[in-house]
Amino acid sequence: MRMLFADAIERPRPELAKKLMLLNWPFVLLITAITGVGVVALYSVAGGSLEPWSSRHVVRYCIGLGLVFTVALIDMRWWMRAAYPFYVVVLIMLAAVPLIGVQSGGAQRWLGFGAYSLQPSEIMKIALVLALARYYQWLPPEKVWRPDAVLPPLLMIGAPTALALAQPDLGTAALFGIVGCGLLFLAGVSWAYFVAAIAGIIMVLPHVWERLHDYQRERVLTFLDPGRDPLGSGYHILQSKIAIGSGGLMGKGFMQGTQAQLNFLPEKHTDFIFTMFSEEMGFLGAVGLLALYLLALMFIIYMALRCRGTFPRLVAAGMGLCLFAYVFINVAMVTGLVPVVGVPLPLVSYGGTSMLTMMVGLGFVLNAHVNRAVRIRREELGVLW
Amino acid sequence: MSGPDLVRKQRLRFSRRVLLVGAGEAALFGVLGWRLRQLQILDSSEYRLLSDENRISAQLVAPARGTLYDRFGTRIAENRENLRVIVVPAFSKDLAATLTTLSSIVTVSDADKDRVLRHAKRQSLYLPILVAEGLTWRQFALLNVLAPQLPGMQTDMAQVRTYSHSRSMAHAVGYVGMAAKGEVEGEPVTRLPGFRIGKTGLEKGFDRELRGRPGSISYEVDAHGRVVRELGATPSTPGKDVVLSLDHELQEMVLTRLASQRRASLVALDAVTGAVLIMASTPTFDANEIAFNVDPKRWQELIRDKEDPLNNRAARGLYPPGSTFKVVTALAGLTAGVSNPTEKIICRGGFPFGNHYFHCWRSGGHGPISLHDAIKQSCDVYFYETAHRLGIDRLAVTGRALGLGQTYPCELAGLKGGVMPDTAWKRATLEEPWYPGETISCGIGQGYVLASPLQLAVMTARIATGNAVVPSFSCSNPPRATPAAVLSGIAPEHLQLVRDGMSAVVNEGGGTANGAALTIPGMLMAGKTGTSQTFGRDSKRHPTGWEAEPHSLFIAFAPVEAPRYAVACVVEHGGYGSRAAAPIIHDVMTELLLRDPVAKPVFAAGTEAVAALAPTESGR
Repeated sequence: MRMLFADAIERPRPELAKKLMLLNWPFVLLITAITGVGVVALYSVAGGSLEPWSSRHVVRYCIGLGLVFTVALIDMRWWMRAAYPFYVVVLIMLAAVPLIGVQSGGAQRWLGFGAYSLQPSEIMKIALVLALARYYQWLPPEKVWRPDAVLPPLLMIGAPTALALAQPDLGTAALFGIVGCGLLFLAGVSWAYFVAAIAGIIMVLPHVWERLHDYQRERVLTFLDPGRDPLGSGYHILQSKIAIGSGGLMGKGFMQGTQAQLNFLPEKHTDFIFTMFSEEMGFLGAVGLLALYLLALMFIIYMALRCRGTFPRLVAAGMGLCLFAYVFINVAMVTGLVPVVGVPLPLVSYGGTSMLTMMVGLGFVLNAHVNRAVRIRREELGVLW
Repeated sequence: MSGPDLVRKQRLRFSRRVLLVGAGEAALFGVLGWRLRQLQILDSSEYRLLSDENRISAQLVAPARGTLYDRFGTRIAENRENLRVIVVPAFSKDLAATLTTLSSIVTVSDADKDRVLRHAKRQSLYLPILVAEGLTWRQFALLNVLAPQLPGMQTDMAQVRTYSHSRSMAHAVGYVGMAAKGEVEGEPVTRLPGFRIGKTGLEKGFDRELRGRPGSISYEVDAHGRVVRELGATPSTPGKDVVLSLDHELQEMVLTRLASQRRASLVALDAVTGAVLIMASTPTFDANEIAFNVDPKRWQELIRDKEDPLNNRAARGLYPPGSTFKVVTALAGLTAGVSNPTEKIICRGGFPFGNHYFHCWRSGGHGPISLHDAIKQSCDVYFYETAHRLGIDRLAVTGRALGLGQTYPCELAGLKGGVMPDTAWKRATLEEPWYPGETISCGIGQGYVLASPLQLAVMTARIATGNAVVPSFSCSNPPRATPAAVLSGIAPEHLQLVRDGMSAVVNEGGGTANGAALTIPGMLMAGKTGTSQTFGRDSKRHPTGWEAEPHSLFIAFAPVEAPRYAVACVVEHGGYGSRAAAPIIHDVMTELLLRDPVAKPVFAAGTEAVAALAPTESGR
């Protein structure tokens, strides 16, 4: 009898139509608008042509939208149970990359599956958020502060970060670190740990410097002084700054960007698309695009706040952190605030894996939103399953 | 503390922290905004100056296409300087006016003008557009002097493919053209204005070797797009030169010999290695007309021409092989053991099968006839009987072993496979069972059997040497001086019986091509005539005049004792095999034996390559 009662109250299972009503449609509209900016920018990069990028970007977005709805409408409890196995599988894939991966652009970051290849490090960001949220869903609140309760999530963050550093992929390692630590903070881990961690990093930094690859050191040094080598490794930053700066307040006009159109940037359709966009659309366009992203972030925070369960709200806020970290690192990179690390601009840069993972992440945000009223009893979950 | 209390506290703490994170994110976005303000508003004028005065432009540099030589080093296809004028619309204030000014020096048609203006509107203003090419040095120099009055116009030197012996080599060598959309994926160099790739023939087959790899140059350009200085260049890797196995002199001679025929083709092979020495097809066309700026009207003319001059009949023309196929039937019969050299089959002038009567070409019949004489006199009934005993499937096995019904892994693009029918083939393509009566006509190379002259030459070479000869067009890569592997599944003594029969065709009295016997003392040629019926196949209407004549075919190899050259010739509607095709092969074989091209050393591309590189280098 008690079980029946508990089932009726604790496990509301809304109908599909009802669930669709619960989706945050203005948010879907917002991410469509951001992707639209990407389509227009890719059209301009190709010299005024839908080929080869714009049209495929639209197709991928449509596939991505299908993923968003699929992820959002699958029962949250199922995702909760899948969180750890998913994390383990992706971690194994990440570890397998150096062994069986495909070389591309000097670094080995891809796994090939027949005609397809995917970047496990992209998927790892989602797996990490899910696994950490799953952990804090299980952990009793009164234990959150204890050192032995902080250790497992630190290992969960540390493993992929170390693998990314070994690849070596600084940008991805930084993303894992930011998202992971941000999630610990959201979960309520005591301030004292963060203060200690920052102190520790300052102590460790010199040793890390020694272990960096030459090209990574070169990147950091060039970042500190791009004028060091204007035709070599500082070239991208300098040219990117010239392009953005010369755009001015109003920009040079659609398809009129001299810097981008004269082919000086090798990755203008992927990592440096913001540069081209700012050159052609100016300060107003660039800030407008950033405002769209900020609006999306505020939406996500609002959705996270409305969730009753620990898992959904951490998942929503964690995916928000991911989106933020991508946008911030990319824009800071092309404006010369941080070194060039190779992080795409979500939904705007051309790239299949990045687009699809971002859409899956946003699908989880909407999943949390759909399940905002659901409370999960801690007893429902085992340690691992 | 009670449970619900703790949960509420935890939720409050989450709310607090998530708001804090949100505020942090907003603040960091503020930093980005501040940075953009610094770059785009405060320092904008400085960056604008940098962008205007110091633009760096990277351009792809097209590689020089490799040269094609014939086997003795005559240049067949090479690059000539192509002086061009291009325009970058962004630097031209009034494009239409500039084009008008330009047309006083260079002829710019209205269609060209429209094309340039249309492209300028549609694509980025910084992408260069080709205005005119093929300028003379005088025009080129004049344009360079007048450059200040022609804003946005730039002259440059590209390369254009030219063909020597452009009519005789046109079919085998093919021609280059601009890549069609989707023809070459993921090769940015093909989007360069005016870049050309191999479209047909050997230019297409060797395209990978000939194309080379593009380089790039980065320039510093000023606000007018003029090059201030070169910053650095990755040189392009020129394509490899290829030495073809063809002999252009022989090719020329054969085309002259074929010129009296309306449609004909001929292939000559080195029967030991498979190297193609001659591949001729008539009527022909001029590759130079097509490779560089083909005139649309002329192109339409060529495409619509009833004689189809663009078609390489030697490799792509499919004909019923007629009696030339009897050597296959003979060999298949010996291999399967259904016939033997001593047995005589009685020819009464026809072969009744079911309620159909298959005629022999000699209506009176040949009487009792052996294998040797059946080949020599081309007796139809002997081979009807042999085919009937064999069945189509065993016949097809031998046909394929001799190279029929298949394409070869060779460098010539667009080979046709022909048809070597069997029961499985008919079920797959026509969805009908095989009727035994159809085997009878296949036995003399009629019915469904179709082969190209190239295939007939391969078949002849395989019979002549017993090697599994595969045609090859390259003398340089890889070197094909080595003999092909030995044919498997066919006994040498059976091959010898067929060769003896073929020798009798030419050299014994009563042979169908006795008139084509060589006149060089001590040299014997072996061959087989073929006369293939064509009417009733393509059209219901009974043809008249020229079209009513059967195709005339002849295959041959020589010298008989140590075969070296294999030749096949098809003259469309040329009448009996002995009438049109055999005399042509007689002349060609005589020339081949007297010149003996395979005995002479082959040109090595490397020796002249250094000298060849110098003019192309300056041409860029």
